[in-house]
Amino acid sequence: MKDLLERLNTKYNLTDIKYQRDNLVFLTIGKENTIDLVTHLRDYEGFTHFVLLSCVDWIEEGKFQLTYFLNQPERKYDIAIRTMIDRDNAEMVSAHHLWRQITTYQRELREMYGINFPGSPGVDENFILEGWDDIPPMRREFDTKQYSEDTFFPREGRKTHDPASYMKEKLYPTEPTTDKVNKTDE
Amino acid sequence: MGKIKDILSPFTAWGNVVKEPVTIKKPIGREAAPRYRGFHKNDIDTCIGCGTCEVICENEAIDLVPVDGIETKDGDSGLRPMIDYGRCCWCALCVDVCTTGSLTLSNEYTWVSEDPDEFRFIPGVDKKSWDDNEKGWKKPEPNYEFYGKKRVEMPELHAEDRDKSFIEFVTGYSKQQAEEEADRCVECGICTATCPAHMGIPEYIKAIRNDDLEEGLRILYETNPLPEICGRICTHKCEDVCSVGHNGDPISIRWLKRYIADQNPSEKYKEILNAENIENNGKKVAIIGSGPSGLSAAYYLALTGYECTIFEKLPEAGGMMRYGIPEYRLPYDQIDKDINYILSLGVDIKYNVNIGTDITLDKLKKDYDAVFAGTGLHLGRSTRIPGSDHENVYFATDLLREISLGNEIHVSEKIVVIGGGNVAMDITRSLARLQNNKFGKVNVTATSLESEDIMPADREEVVEAREEKAIIDPGWGPTSIEIENGKIKGLHVQKCLSVFDESGRFNPKFDESNTKFFEADMIVESIGQGMDVEYISEEIREQIEFDQRGRIQVNDYFQTGAKWLFIGGDIIQGPDVIHGIANGHKAAIGIDKFINQNG
Repeated sequence: MKDLLERLNTKYNLTDIKYQRDNLVFLTIGKENTIDLVTHLRDYEGFTHFVLLSCVDWIEEGKFQLTYFLNQPERKYDIAIRTMIDRDNAEMVSAHHLWRQITTYQRELREMYGINFPGSPGVDENFILEGWDDIPPMRREFDTKQYSEDTFFPREGRKTHDPASYMKEKLYPTEPTTDKVNKTDE
Repeated sequence: MGKIKDILSPFTAWGNVVKEPVTIKKPIGREAAPRYRGFHKNDIDTCIGCGTCEVICENEAIDLVPVDGIETKDGDSGLRPMIDYGRCCWCALCVDVCTTGSLTLSNEYTWVSEDPDEFRFIPGVDKKSWDDNEKGWKKPEPNYEFYGKKRVEMPELHAEDRDKSFIEFVTGYSKQQAEEEADRCVECGICTATCPAHMGIPEYIKAIRNDDLEEGLRILYETNPLPEICGRICTHKCEDVCSVGHNGDPISIRWLKRYIADQNPSEKYKEILNAENIENNGKKVAIIGSGPSGLSAAYYLALTGYECTIFEKLPEAGGMMRYGIPEYRLPYDQIDKDINYILSLGVDIKYNVNIGTDITLDKLKKDYDAVFAGTGLHLGRSTRIPGSDHENVYFATDLLREISLGNEIHVSEKIVVIGGGNVAMDITRSLARLQNNKFGKVNVTATSLESEDIMPADREEVVEAREEKAIIDPGWGPTSIEIENGKIKGLHVQKCLSVFDESGRFNPKFDESNTKFFEADMIVESIGQGMDVEYISEEIREQIEFDQRGRIQVNDYFQTGAKWLFIGGDIIQGPDVIHGIANGHKAAIGIDKFINQNG
């Protein structure tokens, strides 16, 4: 793995290299060289298995972090290539030509985060959210609670208790507290 | 050709009937990863029902519900979390925030039931097959905290800078320190039940976070009209049950209260507390004693429109707060700030008046609609060991009172204090300062029956006394005071093995073969105080109920058998300031009811 990283380092500008295990490394590369690196690993370093493509919303930084996870089956190496892309008008070069299943991942990211992958087949088609009419739900500004309150009905029979009020009811129901005093004031 | 295929293909599907199915009926039976986030587990004996899990849950999947057999008590709401797996997304935030660490996730992820309601249960109470599963998600330790574990340290004067003077040595939080400390609170409210005055603790801590200290002051005064005082010397029972204290330092509730009171200038109190126009209701209440209970009763009665007159035996107000607690812990100007505000509401106070001799209780009964007495425990108790009648054997309360009055007291070079409570620590530390001034060195030893682990004094008092070079040597029972040629030579003690018997009664056991001698030329007894209720005449006494041990009995509103007479404070509960405040508040409500019922 170390040799591999040395070879890659001569060719690419890699940052934040972090060994999770001896045979699993995370690294970060600029957006413009990401697909180049993925292609290189597939064609020259035996990373023939594409594992997954995922995204993290770094809303405070105004970025999405994409992670391309590849596997080298012979030597059992895993490599995770990370890249940061702008959150506004988020767009990334499509990699569907490298592995056909990437089409599905890209369609998912389009739907969940609103990231566009121009040229990726069927990227604008519904993935799982049929008839979705809100902002992409995995973007962190999406208010899940509000959405669920607006969309669903509460389950019947649920009842909760506030610890402080419950303790008052059980332990000192008649003693003065905040609300009692106010009543005396009136 | 295409058409024939379309007709035949449905029939070819029948061939699959005899094949091994690709789908499976039962769970795979393959164990998840060791840290997989599966169904919840809860150690219900450790859980205190603080509800922090419920608050953090983004999906509102958690309800806190009562559980049979789990009692609501100090520090435990008696509630336990019930999870709705129709909503849970297995994020484990509830586990990560759990204050006691009782809530975890197993790595079990498969469970089949045809009843959807079974997917709502109370982990740890409703038994599940994964309850003993050791694997799964636990809060990663260390350095993974949603709130600070360490309290913001309170700046204090060094022992060398404080052990000669009586100036206040705890300097108070800055804005940044207070907000940082307030930020550690999880707002569970478990503390409120334990506080004798049931103060709105999470609410005023929240006011600090919001930097709305006027709102903070309003919340304090709803249940406690002595916040400067309590912010310094409260026994802070609330901190003992703080949920954050289960896995770290409890929130510095007392210091935060002090911060709010310190930051609000006294000139603005009336405006902030909306007490500028109180309508007088024409009814009069007499209050005996200006200690915490009397002041608290006066405050809440005055707010409701009563004309209150306090009768104080000593030249200044405050009772034990002024005459029992040394100035280095509670400066006089801070006592004055709280008391002056109460007086500014129209409460009258008459100093140097001794009820029973100057005015009788009967006269008060005639002149006022009701009487509240909070006369406290001012009489020192003696060990009654041989030699304890010597003139250089003193009671701690007497000495503390003389120091506060500004009178010089007898201080000798070698002193032994008998007692292990806060009063004993107060006199020990006061004498250490006086010795330091007089002789340039400290030689005072405090010894108590109780061993170090069960000493009744606050831990910090013991630590600070030692920092000030006093010797604290607990676990000894005094046997006699040795006197030679009329002068005290010292105190003989024997090892105390246990203070209480199996049924929890005071019944000390000693090892008579293990003895010790403390050299001393002055001895101070601080083993408790008694009440002095001489002012209650025989005739009134007959109406009041006393228990077998001579303690006065009162109802929930601190009303005695003599309906017009209410008694509270140290005589009834405590002894401490916060119980006095709570008693006074409740008695005020009781007096209001009593007077209104009488028309």
